[in-house]
Amino acid sequence: MTNIRLYFPKIILTFLLIFLLTGTELSLLIQHNALTYKAFETVTVQQNLDEKAYTALESYFQSRSNSTGIPADVYLDAVTQEDMKQGILSSISKAFAYLQHDDESYAVTMDFTELEKSVTEFFNQYAEENHYQKDEIFNQKVQSSIQEAEEKILYTADTFKFGTIAEHGWLAKIRSFLDIFRKIMTGLYICTGVVLILLILCCKNKFSELFYWLGLTGIISGLLISSPCLYLLKTDYFSAFVVKDIQIYAAVTGYLNYITHLISTAFIITGLAGIVFLLLFSVMQKITNQKQTTAE
Amino acid sequence: MADKKNKSAVPVYLLTGVFLLILCIAFCIAVLIKPYETAQTYLNIIFMDQSMKIAPSSGLDGLVIKENQIETTPVSDIPENEQNFYDEGEIIRPVFGEQYAVLKCDAISLSVPVYWGSSAELLERGACQSSSSVVVGEHGNSVIDAHVNTFFADLNQLKAGDDIIIYTNYGIFTYQVSEKIQFLNTDKKYVLPSVDDRLTLYTCEAQVLGTSDSRIGAVCTLVSRQFYHPAGEGNES
Repeated sequence: MTNIRLYFPKIILTFLLIFLLTGTELSLLIQHNALTYKAFETVTVQQNLDEKAYTALESYFQSRSNSTGIPADVYLDAVTQEDMKQGILSSISKAFAYLQHDDESYAVTMDFTELEKSVTEFFNQYAEENHYQKDEIFNQKVQSSIQEAEEKILYTADTFKFGTIAEHGWLAKIRSFLDIFRKIMTGLYICTGVVLILLILCCKNKFSELFYWLGLTGIISGLLISSPCLYLLKTDYFSAFVVKDIQIYAAVTGYLNYITHLISTAFIITGLAGIVFLLLFSVMQKITNQKQTTAE
Repeated sequence: MADKKNKSAVPVYLLTGVFLLILCIAFCIAVLIKPYETAQTYLNIIFMDQSMKIAPSSGLDGLVIKENQIETTPVSDIPENEQNFYDEGEIIRPVFGEQYAVLKCDAISLSVPVYWGSSAELLERGACQSSSSVVVGEHGNSVIDAHVNTFFADLNQLKAGDDIIIYTNYGIFTYQVSEKIQFLNTDKKYVLPSVDDRLTLYTCEAQVLGTSDSRIGAVCTLVSRQFYHPAGEGNES
């Protein structure tokens, strides 16, 4: 800190750099790690969402059989856990296709051929056994039972609630926001680069000091973000999520924990990098001092 | 000399770091405090495990649902010296949407909260008693219904002679199934006021094809009324 004239500009530049670096790092994490198909697929596998969704479906059809009189097996024999997994993954991929402008609308479909066959067979058998005339009402009942079951299966497979989000118009808003977000990211990179260049220029007379300011930037940025993230993970904050649909609960809390873990890890690494920079600075200082002492 | 100069700079380096850290934390707090205060209520709702949470969009606006803790210890389990019951006593009249009783039937493993009044939201939570019928404990017909796909799924398995016990905060009322009934939803004869003290339970008939117009249930005759407090004494519970 030989030049007091540059001391305050360096503090201001470091202060700006801390937030710019934090913003850049967060936006990179969100764009390349958190808001990706891969992240949601990982949570699906980690949380066994297919199994949970299938259990929820079993429970629903078993409970419904009391009022409809249609045995749960009529539906469950035609839908497997693997079908649910494909349904969950399909809902994720369709959501990302929409967000990335590959599709112009969000719509998820599953293959219900087996289900339609199973329900139709059950009703035909029921009608024959009870001498029920297959009239228009009968056909309507078959169709409504199939439709209701299909809707329920699609709803259960939509563990991340992309359907609900799209229904309320929020998916379209997220898509527009992501478009703006990409522009903001470009701005962030430019600002970070400019501030970094200015800091380098301020440190050109004593280059080793650049490591000190970069070290501070890394440590403070790391502390600012990793501390609250670690608090959230340590207190298991997300487990208090209110939704009790087991598959939705697991999907949402699993995803929130996944991104919190990801962000905390990234910022702990940032903090460690800051420590390395500070160590480098102290080593360089020592070497410079030794050289000066020798010269004297 | 260079070493001495370097040592004197160490506190400056340290203090600069601390100063920057405090400055950044203060800045974060200043920037985030307002959005946090705005979001706090929502965060508390989203991340608070409330088993009886009422979603704003669930159509419950204006309906106040009140849950009550009701003692359901069977009379046989109450020590004899504490069995101070009265044949006539004070009735606590519930308000619409209040859970005022627990209906139990060991024969079909039934234990269901009973709400005063009937609405789709209340039927999701338990059995409902029509407010046009008499409160359990009063003389006349108490009519209780629930969904066949939830609480009254096994109502058709009731047999004549099965005991039905209703626990309230003012007493315990025991009924016995006297008649199994089936009637059309347009037929009101079982839900109309009666001269005798009875309990009428009913639900929809489960049917595969279409919504059922038929109702099934049971008429139960009063066996005993055991009030916690005698008439005129008031009831503090």
